[in-house]
Amino acid sequence: MDQAAVTALLQTLAQGLLTGGLYALIGTGLSLIFGVMRVINFAHGDFLAIGMFITLALFRAFNLDPYLSLLVAAPVGFALGFVIQRFVLARLGDRLSEGSMLATLGIGLIVSNTLLLTFGAQPQNINVPYATNTFQLGGVQVSIPLLIAGLGTALAIAGLNLLLYRTELGRAIRATAQNPLGAELQGVKTTNIQAIVFGLGVAFAAIAGVLLMPLLYAFPTVGENYTTKAFIVTVLGGLGNLPGAIAGGLVLGVVESLGAFYISNNYRDAYGLVAFLLVLLLRPEGLFGRTVKRV
Amino acid sequence: MRAVQTASLLVALATLTAASAQSTVKVGAVTSLSGRFATFGQMQRAGFQVALDEINARGGVNGSKLELLLEDDASDTNKALNAAERLVNAGVPVVIGAYSSGITKPLSQYMARVKVPLLVATAVDETITKPGNAYTFRVNNQSSIYTRSLIEQLRKMGGMRTAVILTSNDAFGKSVLSDAKKLLPGGGFTVLSQDTYDKGLADFRPLLNRYKSQNPDVVIFASYEEDAVALAKQVKEVGLAPRVIAGIATGFALPEFLRGAGAAAENYLVTMVWNPDVKYPGAQNLYTRLKKALNGEEPSQHAAQSYAAMLAAADAIRRGGTDPEGVRAALAQTKLNTAFGPVSFRTYGGYQNQNSVVGLVTQIQKGQFVTVAPATAARGKVVFPKPR
Repeated sequence: MDQAAVTALLQTLAQGLLTGGLYALIGTGLSLIFGVMRVINFAHGDFLAIGMFITLALFRAFNLDPYLSLLVAAPVGFALGFVIQRFVLARLGDRLSEGSMLATLGIGLIVSNTLLLTFGAQPQNINVPYATNTFQLGGVQVSIPLLIAGLGTALAIAGLNLLLYRTELGRAIRATAQNPLGAELQGVKTTNIQAIVFGLGVAFAAIAGVLLMPLLYAFPTVGENYTTKAFIVTVLGGLGNLPGAIAGGLVLGVVESLGAFYISNNYRDAYGLVAFLLVLLLRPEGLFGRTVKRV
Repeated sequence: MRAVQTASLLVALATLTAASAQSTVKVGAVTSLSGRFATFGQMQRAGFQVALDEINARGGVNGSKLELLLEDDASDTNKALNAAERLVNAGVPVVIGAYSSGITKPLSQYMARVKVPLLVATAVDETITKPGNAYTFRVNNQSSIYTRSLIEQLRKMGGMRTAVILTSNDAFGKSVLSDAKKLLPGGGFTVLSQDTYDKGLADFRPLLNRYKSQNPDVVIFASYEEDAVALAKQVKEVGLAPRVIAGIATGFALPEFLRGAGAAAENYLVTMVWNPDVKYPGAQNLYTRLKKALNGEEPSQHAAQSYAAMLAAADAIRRGGTDPEGVRAALAQTKLNTAFGPVSFRTYGGYQNQNSVVGLVTQIQKGQFVTVAPATAARGKVVFPKPR
């Protein structure tokens, strides 16, 4: 390989890792929700779209810097998730698995159609001066917004870990995940805990939406693709396994980028799916297995 | 619906009484006022209206007021055919329409069968006039015009030998790709890479990285608006810096592209067939009137094309009378100079009754499209080589 080819490979790897970081952030939210209450949230991508549109609306109305929108989008996402769990999913009772699947699908439809009615179908973007800023790192160009997104992801995931392993609330969440009945008997209000966890998951999706906005355009159904990606990430890493979700995201980002670079761009989404199938065939429990401790 | 009918009846009555001595001459048009092409239908309507006002302000056609019977095809082929049948039954000597190629193609076959001329204002599919038929006339360009004019310009700029092409994976993108593949070698270019992508792909970085490692002189894109913006941003991000980046019409030719991509799009070459700054008499004025007819929205080239089509229809009726055959004969002899550019229908290179539209090459300079080629239409000089 000559110099140019090596640089191109490094550049593709770097971008794949940064894109993968975003996938990891989205996958973490999904994985957290699944880990605690065995619900697969099919509206996950639509919550990401909410994050994007909040950023868009605040930028249009107040010229607010996209990253400051995190202060709004994260709490709004949390509140939305909390309310949905409390007033919709929690009421499904024992029919949780089928019921929650249909309920989250329905919620996703409501969300995307509300966005459609409010903002229209036209793809919209915001143009911030630093959207295309880059810096050089040994011949590799690194996008600043993509790097910020990567750092944001790392911070959010680190924060979640602190919450889970260093606080009383985290202990309660882990207890609820391991044995809801046992936790309830120990005085943990599991309905509240589940609502908090769903809120956290939705907040993560919304944060990912905000971090994506300087890089991407928003349209009401933008989330569909990301629901699939989040699902792949989660399964790659092992359902409900947080470190696994992070690794799964990075793997997916790199596999997609390398495939599009070296093989063909047209099968881009297929590379992730192939990796997904291979993992299911060879390690049905996901890359990190089920033996690893759940949240 | 009822109210609309009553209202239009009242308007018709009012015009009748106002011009009691004056009869009207009718022209039919079919476009997509609703459905997925509605945005473009609105552009067409504005173009028609501006032309109609202009014609009637000048005294109409042969002493009669020109009246437009406008039918909505709801972006649907069958509805377009029904609408055309209604227009033919109403006795119009010529029909203008429709927006999309998919609708216009069957429409042109129907119109040939009933022997009433169809004047195509916006559809670009090659096969509408190639081979075409005796009753179909096209005011706007065929799709290969965009690529042809770009390659001509690249050849003139000189010193470039290699190119890569990336287009969207749809009818328009694919036709640009095949045109470019055919025409680039003739212009002395080697094609290093040719790719298509599915609409809505957000991450072009791996592809752009590959292009960067191939180091081409020219990068050619064809895509819709949102992808055009994402492409421009990511080109800058990965540091792809060819000597020329060119966008083929559609997404790159929209005012939204300038807004969304900002400085990242500076010095891009964009091909289109009409731009407010072209040196045709009245172009700037047409732009102002179209913008007004659109309530302040930026007009696209489709509005200008529709304007020119209406002028051509009126001109043909003026010379050929209100009989479809007369209009057809007159259309074949059309020689008009409009603010959209010259209009004449010729048979050449396998095309029949095709206006030889001048393909414009514009360059984005200080955030504005500036027409730089051909010399007959240009306002500015191309900035080349790209300043660093």
